[in-house]
Formats: sequence, C-alpha cells, structure tokens
Amino acid sequence: MTDLEHRVRGVDHVAYPTFDPAGTVAFYRDTLGFPVVHSICAAGWGPEKHPDFIHFFFDIGNDDRLAFFYYFGTSPYSAGPKGDVYARFGEDVPEWFVRSRHLAIHVDSEEALLEYRRRLDGSAWPVEMQIQHETIESIYTHDPNGYMIEVTRAMRPVTPQEDLDANLTIDALLDVVAGDDVSMGALLARKAELIVERAPGWSAEHEPIQPSHA
Amino acid sequence: MTTLYVLDVPENKPVAEVAGRDPSVAVDSVGPYFAIVAAGPIVIDRRATGCRHAVWYSSVAGVSGGRITQHDKDALRVEPT
Repeated sequence: MTDLEHRVRGVDHVAYPTFDPAGTVAFYRDTLGFPVVHSICAAGWGPEKHPDFIHFFFDIGNDDRLAFFYYFGTSPYSAGPKGDVYARFGEDVPEWFVRSRHLAIHVDSEEALLEYRRRLDGSAWPVEMQIQHETIESIYTHDPNGYMIEVTRAMRPVTPQEDLDANLTIDALLDVVAGDDVSMGALLARKAELIVERAPGWSAEHEPIQPSHA
Repeated sequence: MTTLYVLDVPENKPVAEVAGRDPSVAVDSVGPYFAIVAAGPIVIDRRATGCRHAVWYSSVAGVSGGRITQHDKDALRVEPT
C-alpha cells in the first residue's frame, strides 16, 4: 500500500519504432479506425548520426495515444527469427517469453469487442486468438511490425477485495525474492501469513463486493 | 492443520463449495478470503467446480501448514507438511 498522492492520468503515449509506415497506418487508421491525431516531422539532430524521422500518433481512446517513429533510410536490425521489429530473439527463446510484452486496449462492451474482431478479420491481420474466461474477454493479433496487440473487456468490475489481494501478493513477492527460496510455494506460504495478519482488519473497514457479470 | 486460502470473488465460490463437500474439510473465512481447513489432505476436483483454466490455475491465494502436491486440469491437492 502507498500513501503517496496518485496524480497521474493514464497513458499520454507509448511509442514504438516502425520500418513500415504504410502497413502501420493501414492497420491502425484504416482497419481499426484509430484517428491520426498528431505528427512531428523532424530533421535529425544531435551528436549521434540521427536520421530524419516522422513521429506520428493514433488516438486509442480516452485521449491516450499510441505513437510510432519512422526513421528515413533505415531498415530492420537483424538479430534472430522471433519477436517484433524492436526486439528480435533467437530460436532458443521460448514463445511464452516472446509473447509476454504486449499492448492491451480497453473496450467497454462485448459489442465493441466484436466490432474490432470484425474489422481485424476483414483485414490482412485477422484475430489470431479470442479468449474468454470468467473475468475477461480478449482478442489478439500482431500488427504489421510484429507488435502484439490485445483488445479486452472486463466481464465484471474489479472488486475491492481483489485490490487487497493484489497488494498482499506483491508484498509477499518482495519478501520471497529477497530470500533463498524464490518459488510459488514460498510465495503462497508468505501470503498465507499476510492474509492472517491483514485480511481481518481489512474486512472491518471494507465491504467485499460480489458483482454480477456483464 | 493445513489451510488453503481462496479469495471470495464470484468465480472462486465453487472452489470453496466443492472443497467443503468433504466432511473432513471445514470452510471458514478470514476477511474476504475462504479459509479451507483440514487435518489431512485437501483435494478439490476441478470438473466438479466448473472452473475453466484461467480461474482454476489462479484461484489459490495462500497455503499454510501444507504444500500443493497437485494443481493440474484434474485436481488441486494440498497435503500437510
């Protein structure tokens, strides 16, 4: 838990490089319908031999933005057969690791999720995977740069008791990674201690909520 | 005693309910958690809970006095240490 005042207001922008601006615009603007909201045409400057570049931004809702850098005269750096244009990996790197880093964009309803599924399935970048379990439903694809993109909706609101649980998990994790036995077993044992210490007091101050599913 | 803690959210309720069908298992609560307590092993059949995999594999919040010896598509088994 933290007492620090929480002043931030979401994602201003996240920025990725691209070597394929045409594919990137075709994917985000023309397929998904994310408006272009800002762009910068900049001559290279600075001590490094920086190429001229275009920095362009798509609105991903909520005034948050996904931005790209396109550098003139460059081509992808080679490093291995797996990954995206920013991070390449060798054959020996497991798929679960390569696929771990992704951007998930939120939608409010099943109808909106299926609308994005429809747009992607009609394009060169169809949905590769649709997953629904009891708490979330998501679709996944890779953009023309190899970046994994998820569109997701919550099946129900997050409950206050899940916030407590998240904090107990992280406190247990920090204790466990500072020790000798860094394992799930050790984490669950430490978390059990924290539950006994802190969960009864939490209940005295909060009402657990049992939401119904959307 | 072995205690298995499970957070009380809608998806996890069947886990506690199925665990409690065993007469040697008691289901209590500690704050917003189910505390599933037994002197011997706690065995929960996944299919009986109806949980799909994402919830099933993330339903355990804590374990005291025991350790997980099985957590697969068939069952969750916690045995005393």
